[in-house]
Amino acid sequence: MKKQNTQKKYVPELSQKEIDELSNSIKTSSQKIVAETIKRMKESDKNRPKTMKYFDEMADLFGKREKEIIEAKKSGKKIIGYLCLFAPIELILAADAIPVRINSGWYDATKIGDRVVPVEVCPVIRSTIGAKMVSLSPFLENSDAIISVLTCDAMTKLGEILTDYTPIWQMTIPRIKDSDQALRLWIEEIKSIKKEIEKLTGNKITRKKLRRAIELTQKATKAFRRLQQLRKGNPVIMGRDAMLAIQTYIWDDVERWTKNTNKLCDELEKRVKNKDWSVPPDTPRVLITGTPMFWPDNWKVPSLVEEANPKGVILADEICSSERILNDPVGVDEWSMNDMLNAIGERYLMASTCACFSSTDGNEDRINWLITKIKDHKIDGVIYYVVRGCMLYAMEYTRVKKVLDQLNIPVYYLDTEYTREDVGQMKTRVEAFLEMLTARIDF
Amino acid sequence: MSMETLGNLLQIAVFGGLILAGALVILIWVKDKTKNISTLRLFVQIAFVPLIFLGLLIGPFGLPQNPNLGDAPRERLLGADLLGNQFPDGLSVPILACWYPNGRTVTCSVWQLQAYLFPFWDAGPGFGWGTFYSSNGLERIGITLGLMIAMSLLIGRAFCGWICPFGLYNDLMIRIRKIFKKPHLSFSEKTNKAIGQLRYLIIAAFLILSVILGSQAIVGTQLVGDTAPGEYYYSYFTAPFCQVCPMKPLCILVEVGAGAMNPLEEINHSTGVFYEAGYYVTSLNIIVLGLVTAGALAFRRFWCRICPLGGLTALFSTFYPFKKLALLRLNKIEEKCTKCGICKRVCPTQVTEVYEEKGGDVTVSGCMLCFRCVEMCPYEDCLEVKMARKTVLKSRNWLEPSESE
Amino acid sequence: MISKSEKLLTITIGIDLGTQTIKVVILKDNLVLTREKAVSGFETSKVAKQVIDEALKKTKLSINDISHITATGAGVQMAPNPNSTISMMSADAKAGFYLFPKARTIIDVGAEEARAIKCDDNGIMVDFVVNERCAAGAGAFIEAMARAIEVKMEEMGPLSLKAERASSINATCVIFGESDVVSLIHKQESKPEIARAVFDAMADRISSMVHRLGVNPEVVLVGGVAKDVGFIASLKRKLGVDISIPDYPEYAGALGAALIAAKRAKRNK
Repeated sequence: MKKQNTQKKYVPELSQKEIDELSNSIKTSSQKIVAETIKRMKESDKNRPKTMKYFDEMADLFGKREKEIIEAKKSGKKIIGYLCLFAPIELILAADAIPVRINSGWYDATKIGDRVVPVEVCPVIRSTIGAKMVSLSPFLENSDAIISVLTCDAMTKLGEILTDYTPIWQMTIPRIKDSDQALRLWIEEIKSIKKEIEKLTGNKITRKKLRRAIELTQKATKAFRRLQQLRKGNPVIMGRDAMLAIQTYIWDDVERWTKNTNKLCDELEKRVKNKDWSVPPDTPRVLITGTPMFWPDNWKVPSLVEEANPKGVILADEICSSERILNDPVGVDEWSMNDMLNAIGERYLMASTCACFSSTDGNEDRINWLITKIKDHKIDGVIYYVVRGCMLYAMEYTRVKKVLDQLNIPVYYLDTEYTREDVGQMKTRVEAFLEMLTARIDF
Repeated sequence: MSMETLGNLLQIAVFGGLILAGALVILIWVKDKTKNISTLRLFVQIAFVPLIFLGLLIGPFGLPQNPNLGDAPRERLLGADLLGNQFPDGLSVPILACWYPNGRTVTCSVWQLQAYLFPFWDAGPGFGWGTFYSSNGLERIGITLGLMIAMSLLIGRAFCGWICPFGLYNDLMIRIRKIFKKPHLSFSEKTNKAIGQLRYLIIAAFLILSVILGSQAIVGTQLVGDTAPGEYYYSYFTAPFCQVCPMKPLCILVEVGAGAMNPLEEINHSTGVFYEAGYYVTSLNIIVLGLVTAGALAFRRFWCRICPLGGLTALFSTFYPFKKLALLRLNKIEEKCTKCGICKRVCPTQVTEVYEEKGGDVTVSGCMLCFRCVEMCPYEDCLEVKMARKTVLKSRNWLEPSESE
Repeated sequence: MISKSEKLLTITIGIDLGTQTIKVVILKDNLVLTREKAVSGFETSKVAKQVIDEALKKTKLSINDISHITATGAGVQMAPNPNSTISMMSADAKAGFYLFPKARTIIDVGAEEARAIKCDDNGIMVDFVVNERCAAGAGAFIEAMARAIEVKMEEMGPLSLKAERASSINATCVIFGESDVVSLIHKQESKPEIARAVFDAMADRISSMVHRLGVNPEVVLVGGVAKDVGFIASLKRKLGVDISIPDYPEYAGALGAALIAAKRAKRNK
């Protein structure tokens, strides 16, 4: 191991007192917000699925899961954090380590992050830096190493800034998906990360272990797809609930998550049978696309849509903090080590619809995804959600709008920040958009 | 119509009925068809081995009997006398089922093409194959080509993926490699495409060679001794490709093993001379078989990428104007595809078009319609197999990990 | 009091709680009975109640005669017991289409917010744009600039028409705009020219908003700023099309709300 340089390259030194004060205040407010958000979710849907209880418990970031992770760490297990969805979690699972995604959703942490980077930077990144500076996130704090994939510009530098605290493994991701050499480079990156993981954990990733890990995530994908299938008909679950359930996957134990998601699906299937809809079937059906939304604070758009007057319901999304986590399985042909690594590489690189890729056909993959989801889930309108500073998604809006206009699907560009203050203004816009959809449905 | 013909027709009806019933049972019994494509394919491949080699497919067509020698061992098989000696070389089917040991039931189209191509007229005793048959040369070449085109239009290269015994042999090599847990090698896209083009060169070369060698019978001069019709080496030179074909030794081996062919002696029906089974096998056959076996251990379906017979089938099913008429097609719906690349990786012949094409008909000459891509595609309805424009199979949210090991 | 036969007709109220003024329109069978407005001030809900009472007094109606009240505007949650609410965009679209049946693009420039709405042939809103955050594209901008060059806000429009040539200022932000005006003053530009620059800058911003939707005639301009001749001239220049302006443009939101109230009252019957 390289000796940790005590001199911090980016981050200013904070006194322990300041760190404690800040983190405690955010922690208390965060817990309050989680409780309140869940309360609101329960209130807006009187008929909320009972099996959501498990996910509510998981949603408390300073609750059960934090304890579990600390215990696991004590017992010698390694925790490996990752910043983008491109990190191959199958490899982490195969090495008996725990993968957790550490992008932060705390609004208040952005203000601390502002001490390091300018306010123009994407708030997800500022918030993550802030969370690390005051030791806020239980997952970020317990990570023994962090996989940082160089996707967008902000993410690229975030990994570098975090080297002030934790060992960072950087992975170069090619910005072009559709070429042989890009895939070769990416698979080489996967192989080198495999070595790093083996070195850190001391566990060799064998063929059998990797196969078991892949099958584990495939089963999770199966459960996820079952849930998605249920969201194609009349709504039996509110979009917020489903999004929360899916998002807990990024810090939960994969096997347990799969079991509980299947339980949720069982309950929802009963509802379909009883025609027990969460909202009237003529409620406008909304799809959300754009920048990721992270629990706990950045939950305002789904809340706005599903608490608005007239009410909308989110049936699908295309964001990397929700459906994109689990949409694509690792498809293995032969179960040899080589083929498994190739399969993992392809699943993470080629199946991704992230806006950080460029292609001459205008990110056709993402467009296709949207069209398919719109048709499958019978979507009435699309909300294109962008946080200020997320250049890539903002720039792709024109492209998406053109395609959706041809399909006669209204799309609304909703931009916001990591703040609570603009909720009023956003509410007017969301409501106007939903009114527009209702008018179209009425007609 | 004689009683014999009637009996043979009855046999065909019984066998055909059994096959259809079997297929029907499989289709109904296997609920999630797509999930079981690989298993189903292996089943079909193995089921066809006895059908092809033991003459059970349609029953061996009657051979002109040599009154002095009695029945050849092969003729003791079921349904030996259909169509008398009208068409004694059997049905031309685009699979590598060798004429030499087991022709007269189903025969590799490549052999028939070469044998009948020149001279195609009945040049009189001693010239060409016309001597032995009551059908005329144009009829034969017409039927061969016609059958070939009809079958290609019907299921195209699914013959390669599902029926061809040499395909099964290649798949066997994959399984052997898997036992040793070795990864397969891949050609670069460019090389693979070049190899795919190579097959047409091979087709052209052997057809031209067969004409040249066939013509020596007309001209009366022999380039090599003992190659005139009826002479010792005639059957070599009328079908030049077959003398390098890797399948011939295997076919003979199977037939000998099954007891349908005597290992030591075989009747040459034209002359009444007994030949050893080994007589048919050239050293080139063995060398090519060795090379192809080694290749198939390293690359998946190595031979199928250059097989000229596959090329001919593709010619009549994936190129204009046959493309429009072919019934069995692989279809892709563009918007369902996220370009995850699984179809490209799992393809045993490394076809890239399924991945690259925007959508619509993606059946290409390199594709042998094994539908592994349909089985592995994780997006619902993205890839579809269409039979006469009706979807018979489609990709699904595959939910269980594929058990290919 | 009203007669029995009149009672069958639907009488509805639309109330628009804008950022600076509260507007009320009383509608009887889709015809405007009266309009009323007041500065919203600090106690918005109290003022709103007063405005409604005054309007009722004018028409000699009581609150019981009203079959439906629909509220709209930024302060919609402050509305006194409305039967329903509607967003500003929908209200504008409704009013614009009611006033000009050929309207396809409706621009609403209020005190703090500017909106552009696209309608289809049936008057249904199909797309809309709202100005982002800063009020630089709205009435407050004119107010601030008028203060800077020391003229009354009402005089800005006529003054700008006298300008002989165009100069430019930045309208991405009220504060930056103000400092630009100051620098123009230091350059000794005349007041009419500065006034015109102010309207041009605003029209620039609004036309780029409208261009995002596409300029589909007929273009209707509503909202308080639609009374300003200087702004109308600038916007016409920027968009290059003729603009229709109703008689009482500032009541468009309230009118739209009242029309929607009428529709909802009928549906509830």
